[in-house]
Amino acid sequence: MARKRRKNSLQAGELNLTAMIDVAFQLLSFFVMTMKPTDVLAMIDVSRPAPDKRVSQSKPLNIIWITVLGDGRFILNDRPISKENLDTTLCQLGVLDTTQTVIIACTPNSTHGKLIDVLDLCQKAKLSSLSVVSVD
Amino acid sequence: MRPPKEEELQSGNLTAMIDVVFQLIIFFVCTTNMQNTIDDRINLAIAPHGVPVTKKDPREIKIDVDKKGNISIQRTYISADLLRSIVKKSIAEYGADVPIVVRGDIDTRHTAIQNAMNACTDAGIYKIKFSVLKEKGK
Repeated sequence: MARKRRKNSLQAGELNLTAMIDVAFQLLSFFVMTMKPTDVLAMIDVSRPAPDKRVSQSKPLNIIWITVLGDGRFILNDRPISKENLDTTLCQLGVLDTTQTVIIACTPNSTHGKLIDVLDLCQKAKLSSLSVVSVD
Repeated sequence: MRPPKEEELQSGNLTAMIDVVFQLIIFFVCTTNMQNTIDDRINLAIAPHGVPVTKKDPREIKIDVDKKGNISIQRTYISADLLRSIVKKSIAEYGADVPIVVRGDIDTRHTAIQNAMNACTDAGIYKIKFSVLKEKGK
């Protein structure tokens, strides 16, 4: 009886890539699924007054004074102002003088997000001299 | 050249697979940031016009202030007095230009941020940076 010779699936010089591709795809899908997109961080520089210096009641005329209230409203030099109008005003100021001092006064109940909103508008207007004070 | 033996053909050549696996492992190990010290519990405010962070100062002190007003550094809650001592010690060691970064939650009341900032000003730092999100990861 003639002996039947088993035929090999692999020929000499051929490479079985199936396992490699399997592992590569598994690793790839694992890392793609577990990857968390990173947030782009930024910084806003501000100055603080010395703790012993009290906020004076009389505000100098050449300083822009923005108050952030607890209910989210803004006051620009004693006059209530909307965020849109504040944006426009600050942009106009920035065109005139980018070194204009802007003091942002925060009331105790105001949220940090509102302060950042104002600081962002100042950054947009290229105003660089920003101070944050706390008022009652 | 000697033709490959039957056993060699049946076992399969794993060299390429191991090469690829090791290369992928090395790539992901090198690109993964293992030092995850950023507190995810703090929801930063978005400021699209903020100055992007280009280089890190190793002396930088990151102060986290959560929604409830708790102050923490590297996920360790501290009091305002301890923060003052830490800032003072840093000034003594690295100079008065130590960068202070305040990471406040968007909903944190200003009183809590004020406590953190006052601790820094008491220690002698009058320049403070607020950490914000320029762009949120999608």
